[in-house]
This record gives sequence, structure tokens and C-alpha cells, in this order.
Amino acid sequence: MQLDEYGEARVQRLLAEHDGVAEQGITVVRRADAIVLCGVVETPGRRDDIVRLVSTEFPEIQVVCDIHVATARPPVDAEDLS
Amino acid sequence: MTGQIRVAAVGDVHLDADALGRFRPALADLGERADVLLLAGDLTRHGTVAEAECVAREFGDLPVPVIAVLGNHDHHSDDAAQVTRVLQRAGITVLEGDTVEIDTPAGRLGVAGVKGFGGGFAGRCASAFGEPEMKAFVRTTCDSADRLSAALGKLTCDVRVALTHYSPVSDTLAGEPPEIYPFLGSYLLAEAIDAHPTALAVHGHAHAGTERGRTPGGVPVRNVAHPVIRQAYSIFNVG
Repeated sequence: MQLDEYGEARVQRLLAEHDGVAEQGITVVRRADAIVLCGVVETPGRRDDIVRLVSTEFPEIQVVCDIHVATARPPVDAEDLS
Repeated sequence: MTGQIRVAAVGDVHLDADALGRFRPALADLGERADVLLLAGDLTRHGTVAEAECVAREFGDLPVPVIAVLGNHDHHSDDAAQVTRVLQRAGITVLEGDTVEIDTPAGRLGVAGVKGFGGGFAGRCASAFGEPEMKAFVRTTCDSADRLSAALGKLTCDVRVALTHYSPVSDTLAGEPPEIYPFLGSYLLAEAIDAHPTALAVHGHAHAGTERGRTPGGVPVRNVAHPVIRQAYSIFNVG
């Protein structure tokens, strides 16, 4: 089954408005056989929650996860703006 | 005075108990690397007091001054005043239309901050016309930009920095769908920044955007949203 435009909008609103997720930075890409979720989140658990939520809401559609977890390493260098 | 002022900055850290402690190791030597840390809003997920307590633990008690603005997520629970108090109790300065000045070895740094709001950019921006809801939307941004301009104008320091959550320019939104630019920032913030001799403008909010931009007046703009910079913070040498 393919997700239509209304479905795509539902996914985007679900991710932002679901209290357990509250993610506005996830991009939803519709493909012929799946939807791809792209973006960057703070923890692996949040990534997994997003995939679980969308898979539960749209059980007939394959969900492909391309969500990365941001690292919190110190910067290697500084940018000179003077 | 010698050298440059070192400004560390990050935004959109979206802290909650599950992410507590992620930034702390990278902050251990912050005092040797920067003179100040700016937090560009969206410090929490839902704007709850419990999440603000996480921010206080993560970014409190650091060897440099920490200066923040709130973001839209920090307003979600309609408790921004209490979120602000929690941060302030941890020694974090929270700006909304006001300023703070800091003496550094390289000179006196002034930061003016507002959350900002949307509305879009020249040629594709909203106008205060029509329904009350539309006028209220645009006037919210106008008021925020006016507060930012007034705050920048009050500063008498060597180096001025503007801190917002919403973007003042479209440059740093590249990568976001153009259709949502009006919800990511407003040119009115850039106009306020360009009205004063500003060395740097820092913002967050645009997770899929890019790091570097410039106002029409030539002020460097940096999007420091954590999903964009993908490190604990960035450092900018100014002045």
C-alpha cells in the first residue's frame, strides 16, 4: 500500500503532536512501496519511538528509518569571524 | 584587551531525562575553550518544569556565563515563566527582549536575545492584514523584532551578538522545505540586527537547515541547532 498526501500530512502532524514524541524535525519521504523517515534526534530511544509510532499508526505500510542520532562531542576547532 | 572573544553556542538540545548527561562530558573543558556559552532555544521537548530541571543540571554550574533564549518547544506546556525560573536558579541568564554584558579578556561582550517568531522573508512574507489571527501572528513577530532592536541599541559594549531561536535569514534554512520557511523565521529579525553594529547572529530551530548565512547588511548568521552542527557546541571567535 502507498501512503497518499493526506497520509503524509498525518504522519508529520502525528510526530509533532504526539506527546511522547514531539518531533518537528523529521522529514517524511513517500516512496512507491514505503515511507522513509529522515532526520536527526537526540537519543536512540527517541528514534525507535518514532519508528514504532508510525509503524503502529500505518501497519500496512513499510517504514524505512533514516534517522540519525546527533553526537555530543566537543568541537575540533573554532570559526574565526573577525 | 587581547585576542578575540570566544563564543560557544548550541540550540535545540531538547533535553529530557533520557538525554540527561549527553552534553556534560564535552562541557568539561569549556572554560579553556570559550568565554561564554549561548543556548539558542528549544532546550526542552515539551517545556515542562521537569525537563527544565534537566537543562539546569546539564548546563548549570559551568565555568563560563551561560545565556539562553527559549524556543517554541519550551512554550508548549504554557509554563515558560516557570521554565525560565528553573534555568535562572541554575545561574543561566534567560533573555527575552533584554541584554547581558560580560567582561572577557578580549573585551566586553554584549548579548541581546529574543525567541523571535515566524512570518517569512522578503518577497514571500506574511502581512498584518485580514483576519485577527493573521494580524496577531505578524504582530507577534513585529513586537519581537522591535524588542530585539531596542535591546541591541541599549548595548554599549565592544562586541554585540544577537541570540534568537527563530532564524533572521533564509540562508540558514537551505535544506528545509521552502513551504515552511514562514514558520522558521522572519526577515524582521535581520532588519533589527542590521540596525546596529552586530558582530554575530546565532539561532536554532531549523533542524534540516545549514550552518552559515549572512544578513542583507553583512552580519554573519550561524544556525547552531544541534541536529545541524552535530557536535556539543560550536565556537565562534569574534571581535
